[in-house]
Amino acid sequence: MVLRLASGRIAVGILGVIALLAVLGPIIAPHDPLEGGTDILASPSAAHWLGTDYLGRDVLSRLLDGSRVSVLGAVQVALIALVVGVVPGILSVYLGRPFEWVTLRLADTLIALPFLVFAVAVTALLGNGIPQAMFVVGIMVSPLFYRVARAATLSVARSPYVEAAILAGASVGWVVRKHVWVKVLPPIAVALANTTGVGFVVVSSLTFLGIGVQPPAPTWGGVLAADLGYLSFQPWAPLAPTALIMATVWACNLLADAIRDVTGEAGRALLNTRTVHAAKEAR
Amino acid sequence: MKRRTLAVLAALTLGLSGCAGDGGSGGAAGESTLRWAVTLPAHWDPVVSGSGAQFRILSLAYASLTEIDENGKAVPSLAKSWDYNATGDQVTFHLRPGLKFSDGEPLNAAAVKAYLERAKTQKNSALFGDLTSIKSVTTAGDLDVVIALTQVDYQIPLLLGERVAQITSPKAALDPAKLDQSPVGAGPFVVTEYVPGSHVYLKKNPDYWDAANIHLDRVELQPAPDAATIVSGLKTGVYDFANLGAAQVKAAEGAGLDVVFQPGYNASNISINVNKEPFTNPKVVDAVRYATNRQEYVDKVTFGTGKATDQPFPPGYVAYDDQSANAYPYDPSRAKALLAEAGFAPGQIKLDLVIAGAIYATASEIVQSQLKAVGIDVTIKVDPNWEKPFFAKDLTLSLYGTTGRESPVQTLTAHFGPNGPLNLSTPYQPAGFEAAVAAARSTPLDSPDYAKNLQAATRAGLESRALVFTYSQPNIFVKTGKVSDITPIPGQIHWAGLKVEP
Repeated sequence: MVLRLASGRIAVGILGVIALLAVLGPIIAPHDPLEGGTDILASPSAAHWLGTDYLGRDVLSRLLDGSRVSVLGAVQVALIALVVGVVPGILSVYLGRPFEWVTLRLADTLIALPFLVFAVAVTALLGNGIPQAMFVVGIMVSPLFYRVARAATLSVARSPYVEAAILAGASVGWVVRKHVWVKVLPPIAVALANTTGVGFVVVSSLTFLGIGVQPPAPTWGGVLAADLGYLSFQPWAPLAPTALIMATVWACNLLADAIRDVTGEAGRALLNTRTVHAAKEAR
Repeated sequence: MKRRTLAVLAALTLGLSGCAGDGGSGGAAGESTLRWAVTLPAHWDPVVSGSGAQFRILSLAYASLTEIDENGKAVPSLAKSWDYNATGDQVTFHLRPGLKFSDGEPLNAAAVKAYLERAKTQKNSALFGDLTSIKSVTTAGDLDVVIALTQVDYQIPLLLGERVAQITSPKAALDPAKLDQSPVGAGPFVVTEYVPGSHVYLKKNPDYWDAANIHLDRVELQPAPDAATIVSGLKTGVYDFANLGAAQVKAAEGAGLDVVFQPGYNASNISINVNKEPFTNPKVVDAVRYATNRQEYVDKVTFGTGKATDQPFPPGYVAYDDQSANAYPYDPSRAKALLAEAGFAPGQIKLDLVIAGAIYATASEIVQSQLKAVGIDVTIKVDPNWEKPFFAKDLTLSLYGTTGRESPVQTLTAHFGPNGPLNLSTPYQPAGFEAAVAAARSTPLDSPDYAKNLQAATRAGLESRALVFTYSQPNIFVKTGKVSDITPIPGQIHWAGLKVEP
């Protein structure tokens, strides 16, 4: 459905390329991303398309190799937030006042906390690794999913057909599976795409600060941070990692918009109209 | 009504601006002000601050017993002269008359005695290890400080310079915690305003012993911004003077700023703990020695501004031993062979290289790649509290860069001595080092044997398996054309004679 919108096609295209880089990056990298050379801070050339860094390492190879860390980190944040947020969000409508009160307060608390600072603290406590940091970030952004799932569930739970089903003896589980899940899924998909974008920003920010990975492992944020120290030699160097991060986050947001457009009522109507027109033209 | 409100606001504004006093930024028109972008010191008590690079900033507020000249020779400062007894185990410093601290207290022999005793005994003193040659301090009259030594030691005038003997007011030192944040000395300047993390303002001290040669009315210290923005800060006139990273030299020169390569005694090293596995095996240490390509540090850390060195000072220094130079040339094949002889397969040795912070980032990655090339896997760990395990000698492998010492013997004992703060392998010391150092220490500085004995001590120290020296980098500063030339004193900045156009 998303591919029927131009924005959706662009977003999926970019994210597809990024996913491919995550899988194939280390294989297609033209040089060993960890091997230095004598030609330090070199300008782009046929041998080094994006030049070399302060230790003479190929920047393109480092960006390609660093894709996996960024993609896995972002996906980890989104999935953890999804799992931790959606289930309590739906259950808060059905499990009574005490559960609702506790989960709402927990969500409020998590929203108030700065997740980057917490991620830094956790890496200091549990060791300098992206999985630990992203686990914490995932939990801290889960209130987004909690609130989205809860709002969608509330709108369904109070609708006449659901009340009728319950009066007819339907169980909560059946109602959730049959009616709630269908309503909750579209906004969750939008939130998932948005949160993946947030995940990319967080991974890049942490690795920019040198948190989450051990040198000499390459990351997008790490390459960017290193470039900033040598601007007098390579003023253009930050462009490549910045463009990569920006394009990926933009694609996530574009995908979220596209999902919203095709799953919202107006979007569905628009698509239906286009489908009818297309069918007529086909005839 | 509106007019009255405006008048009240204007009066309040004028009143508040009038309250700024001499602590405000910018100084009065026509004043000669130096604005220095620098990492602000955490400690302002020299006893706590120690003999690291921060002594340069503290030298604004404190005067020392001696100074050094361009050749590194001890010259008078608070002490106008000194003399040794015939046996060389007692030295008397003769102070200038009429000296006083910025709090009005007299700077006399009693004040110097109080300072040295505090540096030896205060619980958090970072200097007590430097003063082990001092047995006792007594006064002879108001101006003579008599220092009895535990051994014959002709290095004391060099030792009691800016790094170790920036004399503090004894009255202010009664509250060491306060002194640590509110300096009271007899230096060329007096702190008028100090906001930690923000700025420090100082004004000229008319009571400084060499006040006639201090041409700056005011110094403003501001926290150094990100390295990449220092050059633009100077170019736009925000600062006049700053410390500069080697990576920024090209940009500074391109911007038409004056880049100053101040000579120094700096030397960086890979610190090894021979009391911990796998370095208990001398062959593993030798493998690290042969795996070290010093030129790579010169090229990638100092951008060609430094020199490769395998000793705790730069080549050409009086204590540099030519006989020991290049004893372990870069030879990765030999390093691999030594590891094999020691029974280690490639990748079997896994080490944590614990470093203090970003300042060692590039060097640590070079260590990592050079050791990886011979089969040693290194994980870099940045520890913000690195000082604690390093000086407690708990680490196995680390990096350190010293700014050196005015006394070469002090440099040697700090690195190779059994209790040397820079010896990660305490109490290990190489055989013969103690005797060689004693010989160097007991040689008068003007003796024809001085250089020979000093170099013999260096040679003995370099038998240590605890240190692999890598490179030496000069101290790099950048200044605008408004600031006059800086006298090339090794490792130090002398404020006398320095001028800034108003």
